[in-house]
Amino acid sequence: MNQEIVLKNLDPIEIQKYQQNRYPCFFVDCIEEAVPGKSAKGFKNFTFNEWFFPAHFADEPNVPGFIQIEMMTQVFLMTFLTIPENKGKKTGFISVDGARFKKKIVPGNRVDIQAELTSFRFGLAKGNVVGYVNGEVACQLSLTVAIPDIMTQFMPKNS
Amino acid sequence: MTNLEKYINAFTSTFEIDDAKTKGLKYQDIEAWDSVGHMGLIAALEEAFGIMLDADDIVDLSSFEKGQEILRKYNIEM
Repeated sequence: MNQEIVLKNLDPIEIQKYQQNRYPCFFVDCIEEAVPGKSAKGFKNFTFNEWFFPAHFADEPNVPGFIQIEMMTQVFLMTFLTIPENKGKKTGFISVDGARFKKKIVPGNRVDIQAELTSFRFGLAKGNVVGYVNGEVACQLSLTVAIPDIMTQFMPKNS
Repeated sequence: MTNLEKYINAFTSTFEIDDAKTKGLKYQDIEAWDSVGHMGLIAALEEAFGIMLDADDIVDLSSFEKGQEILRKYNIEM
């Protein structure tokens, strides 16, 4: 019988062993649970000291949409970069679909993020991610993300 | 939409080109059909036809015409 591997409570130092995102573009504080090849659950705390709040906006600080996308993506990455042969590999966006920003995320908010991997083939990962603030959906999207190292093995031969 | 229309649409929507430019198109003929574009095309074809392409077919899909030949193996006639 195969036992499912579950990773628990990965801190930022541990998370960075699996993905190459770094400050100022690293937006995950904790991965509470990751099931390689299936799902990941984590969170990000936004404090007033975040580098982007003074610019977005001085009189009404809130988390820019592109950072919400990146935050959700970085949790999603943990669904497939936790597969041992993928650990630490670089990734790239193929598509971001159906992005919805339903609640303004402001200093002091903690965003809980749940990511599901729906398929992973030939270095191409597809899945869905939802971010919650105080139990309510704040943002969501569907993603297709590639691992170029693996993907390039499946390119036509005239490359 | 016919299978041919769906097939052409996968190319035009992925690479943002006109229908007229699809015929004879080969991998890396245009900037958009690079490695990332190739996987985007595969994803578009799989979604359009509800199939999962084999690894060998993904590697072999090097032109617009070759793709039609490959899809015949999945019982998709155009």
